[in-house]
Amino acid sequence: MASLAPVRETTFMPDLSSPELIASAQRGNEEAIGTLYGAHSQAVFRYFKARLGHQQTAEDLTGEVFRRMLTGLPQYRAIDLPFRAWLFRIAHNLLIDQYRRESGHEMIPLKEVENASADEIDPASVVEQKLTMEDAHRALSDLEPSQRDVLALRFLSGLSLKETAFAMGRTEDAIKALQRRGLAALRLGLAIHK
Amino acid sequence: MDKLDNILEKRLARLEAGEPLELCLADLPEDEAVSLKKAAMLSSIADTAPASNKFADQRRELLRLARENNKRSSESSSVLKKARPRWVFPAAMAGGAFTIFTCLVIFSLLAGLAGLRWLGSPQGVALKVPDPQSAMLEDLRGLVEVQDSNGTWKVAQVGQSMEAGQHIRTGALSSATLSLYDGSRTRLGPTAEMSIDELDAQKSGPRVVVLTQSLGESQHDVAKSGDPASRYEVHTASGVGTAKGTSFRVFVTVALLVRFEVDEGAVAVTNLDTTVIVVAGQSTVIVFGHVPTQPVFRMSGEGEVEKTGSVWHIAGRTFRADSDTVFVGHPEVGDLVAFEARIVTDGSPILVRVVLVAFAPENRFAFTGTVDSMGGDEWMIAGRAVHVDGTTEIDNDIQVGDVVEVKGGIREDGALWATDIHLIEANEEGLPFEFVGVIDGITDPEWTISGITVTVGDDTHIDTGLVAGDVVHVRGRILDGTWLAKSIERAEEDEREFTITGDVENREPWVVAGIGFDTDERTEIDDGIDAGDRVKVEGRILEDGHWVAEEIELLEDAEPRRFKFTGVVDSINPWSVGGIELTTDNQTVIEGQIEAGDLVFVKGVILPDGVWLAETIKRLDNDLGCLSFSTAVRQTDVNQIVLLDWQVIQLGRKLKVEGEINVATVIIVSGCTQEDGAFSITHIIVIYQLDSLPIIIKRPSHGNGNDEGEHEEDEDDDDHD
Repeated sequence: MASLAPVRETTFMPDLSSPELIASAQRGNEEAIGTLYGAHSQAVFRYFKARLGHQQTAEDLTGEVFRRMLTGLPQYRAIDLPFRAWLFRIAHNLLIDQYRRESGHEMIPLKEVENASADEIDPASVVEQKLTMEDAHRALSDLEPSQRDVLALRFLSGLSLKETAFAMGRTEDAIKALQRRGLAALRLGLAIHK
Repeated sequence: MDKLDNILEKRLARLEAGEPLELCLADLPEDEAVSLKKAAMLSSIADTAPASNKFADQRRELLRLARENNKRSSESSSVLKKARPRWVFPAAMAGGAFTIFTCLVIFSLLAGLAGLRWLGSPQGVALKVPDPQSAMLEDLRGLVEVQDSNGTWKVAQVGQSMEAGQHIRTGALSSATLSLYDGSRTRLGPTAEMSIDELDAQKSGPRVVVLTQSLGESQHDVAKSGDPASRYEVHTASGVGTAKGTSFRVFVTVALLVRFEVDEGAVAVTNLDTTVIVVAGQSTVIVFGHVPTQPVFRMSGEGEVEKTGSVWHIAGRTFRADSDTVFVGHPEVGDLVAFEARIVTDGSPILVRVVLVAFAPENRFAFTGTVDSMGGDEWMIAGRAVHVDGTTEIDNDIQVGDVVEVKGGIREDGALWATDIHLIEANEEGLPFEFVGVIDGITDPEWTISGITVTVGDDTHIDTGLVAGDVVHVRGRILDGTWLAKSIERAEEDEREFTITGDVENREPWVVAGIGFDTDERTEIDDGIDAGDRVKVEGRILEDGHWVAEEIELLEDAEPRRFKFTGVVDSINPWSVGGIELTTDNQTVIEGQIEAGDLVFVKGVILPDGVWLAETIKRLDNDLGCLSFSTAVRQTDVNQIVLLDWQVIQLGRKLKVEGEINVATVIIVSGCTQEDGAFSITHIIVIYQLDSLPIIIKRPSHGNGNDEGEHEEDEDDDDHD
């Protein structure tokens, strides 16, 4: 078995939105709003990019999430939903809306991963490969929509299990199950260098 | 499978915490090891960002919008701020101690299960709607605005007429009623927004009412119409509800989660070409972009919290909480709460909303007295030692000799710990007041806060940046009818109390110092209060802006120092409650058979020699709470009924049943949970007759019937995608 290459820094991120920062943003403080955008825009963009695969649409939807955040901030309360989970619930809803607008149903994967089989992956070599977001999108496209969402939120946007559950309106147990099934079905190694 | 899910999640958590992948992989089964590596790969993708100028442009645009919002706020006094869209509990759920439960709180059921009820308007009699194309605004509370033809939001007035094409919105602690020509009524709760899209509320002929609710909560009492072409529709971003003659409520959250709850009749709820029929006692939820969920029955009530967390125990019942459960006021164990739940297909209730009604009443005290001394952690007030610490809220400028009101808790050893010490008498003129309200308007020197005009001066402390729509805590004194503000400060979400001191102008409805408020069955009212008497009123402010008194206390001319507290009786001869010794005399009223160990409420006066003389000692019931739930009848005979979830209710003489019960009848069952956990049913009311049983619930394995062909649904497996 090949030795394992060191893994690059991951995107698991703590939610940096302190209650004070959010309260300040709720009062309309521009600096606080800008800080929230800076802290979360990348993760939101990654979510859309992974799900849609289209740069321009992902950028536009990212902007729309924060516009809706601005509208919804006065009503937001941390007791209902952790901030990041709330933000990604907006993103999740926007994504569904986007699918509906485009085709009236869930988008069909842009490109099927060819000749793929999970059995062909060498477990030891997986981490040595360098993925791009396009690779991730192609791989995710092959999954069930819920599995796609869970993997994108957990591993590309860095949400915790609990936040993912909140964002998707599911239980943590359901997320755990979707996560395991999604990872098992993910034909990641074959989406690249094949 | 659950085990493997958990194993993988634990390793992911370690990876997330920064542990090297090699260590996280150790001893993992091969499949899980591959999965973990894939997760690590996904997490390591770094080449994902929009063009750098895109982020910068978006940020700039966002800040521009924020600036515009701020500007609009200060210009038009119209920003809706704070507070979640919540507003479903009736006034009866707003005050008092849980121990004063009676069956009276078993709901005005037909007016709405756990729902808000129509409250009488102290602003006058119902107004006449001039024509079918108009809607008349009534019973306005707090900040209510209507958009004019130029798109400008303007503060609404009672009696103002609205028509199709107009929008209305409410601020926090605010609400409004729209009366229609055919007698239908639409009530908008706090922080809500709605447009009238079509309006032709004919009394005869086809009635057409189409509303769009973009946020908040609303209740609709729809007049019956015999015309089959009539329609009354409420549109939301996540679905439409269509009714003919019925009563229902609609909730829209900022995340566009929509809930329809039906109290009378039936409502067709549609989204994405899928329609569900929601009948009385049921609710349905629509996640944005999904079809409505199968309607489920509901449960609601009030009770003591015995456990919190993912599983709650309230009123002797067990509930699950999920990510959509709304909690208001941070309820904790021992507190009294009002709750709503939906009963999922396995018969278990999931909490929809939990609202703190009153803190745990046991061992809490309040009294007034003169400050004898002020030590670092101990004050002497009215001859009693009172402990203070960093958490005690103490008014500024209190000195020895001042008269203060002290509130706090009683420790097991009888020691008093103060949470609040307020100056109530310092040679100031006027009568004290304080309340929480929403800013309606700001002018110099007068502010309007929840309809009350308060005057500010140079010495008024005002938090910076306050704008219309903000919820504030106002303190001051009433002098010659003028409300002079000492401070106006931002209020916390659950800080919704009021205290006013003044003369009684009217009873039924109550008006004190020019302010009207409601009472309910739990309001403690001193005997012998007449118009002209001076009283102190304390109470809570409901989310829709209504004030409900918890206590109306008659103030004597020469006001003695008073106390009140709840506690467990240590002994009766001599009287000791919660470690505090009491004196009684032949004027003392002792209500109920009281024994050592009973929970009691005591109030009285502190005599000049420091003795606490009890005027009233009242035994408090130890019911855990009361609740109602809706369900359908599976089987029935003269002796018993079997409910949808296979519970059996024996029909005895003491059980009051209203209506005829058949198979598939929808009923509301009401009762209270006793101290020993037993649930005592008091009422059953028929509210709807279904054609057939709506949901098949698996019979418990210990049951004695045949469950062939039946199944149990698992909500967690619902996939909205």
